[in-house]
Amino acid sequence: MSPADDIEDTDPGLARERTELAWTRTAISFAAIGGVILRYEPAAGLPILALSVLIWELGRLARAPGRAGPAGPGGSAAAAWVRSRRLPLIAVAVTIVSLVALAIVLFGPPSRGLRL
Amino acid sequence: METMGRPLRAGRAPAELMAVYAAEERSSLPGEEQPTEASGPEGSPGRAQSADEAEPDARFSFANERTFLAWSRTALALVVAGLGIIQLLPPFPGIPWGRHLVGIPLILLGSVVSVVSYLEWKSNQRALRRGEPLTRTRLPQVLAATVAVIALVAAALSVISAATRS
Repeated sequence: MSPADDIEDTDPGLARERTELAWTRTAISFAAIGGVILRYEPAAGLPILALSVLIWELGRLARAPGRAGPAGPGGSAAAAWVRSRRLPLIAVAVTIVSLVALAIVLFGPPSRGLRL
Repeated sequence: METMGRPLRAGRAPAELMAVYAAEERSSLPGEEQPTEASGPEGSPGRAQSADEAEPDARFSFANERTFLAWSRTALALVVAGLGIIQLLPPFPGIPWGRHLVGIPLILLGSVVSVVSYLEWKSNQRALRRGEPLTRTRLPQVLAATVAVIALVAAALSVISAATRS
């Protein structure tokens, strides 16, 4: 079987690769906002940056079994649970980030803005 | 160019390919509504489907997933915009709460977009499994309307603060 056949069977239309890239872009977005929040509240920014690494790892699950790392039934029960709920995890993570931003805005020191 | 309806190649039985997709989906795609039958061990092909449901084509599931991720990135961009407006802009002259009036709705809109896009993902997965038409997404209208209103508010605040300054 030629390599071209192989790819079309395990990854038709390169859907898996595009999905993994979408997860990477999402992880980068979380890292960006984690960096912004880090400047105002390091205690909140660091967990968000750590979360962005987790999200990037979750993206690797889109690969065909056998090509990624431990995407199969291996790993602890908690890891398997996180893998199976990764989309709701993203929704919850964005909501938490927005609540953190609200807290900074409402309870942080008043901002006079950047002087450019 | 993406060929979603590409016919299967000669020499590879369709049932074999669909079994490959189905086994991969069960072991690697995220949790969603399960069929009513008891589930077998992860990755096992022995799970029966109810009569009106079938495993969706893996490409459509992945497309649905990518759409949800794109909406999530949009939500994060809204949160960053709200936070940036409040923390990085100087106050509107004469209107100390002006930036908050613009920024806080943007932050809230971010969380709303994220939650609604997840609900739409779930409903689309269900429709894909049943072979029904996909539900019409409301998010573009919600986003467009809310951002437009916020932009008008920002413009009004700019005009008012310029008028009260002079």
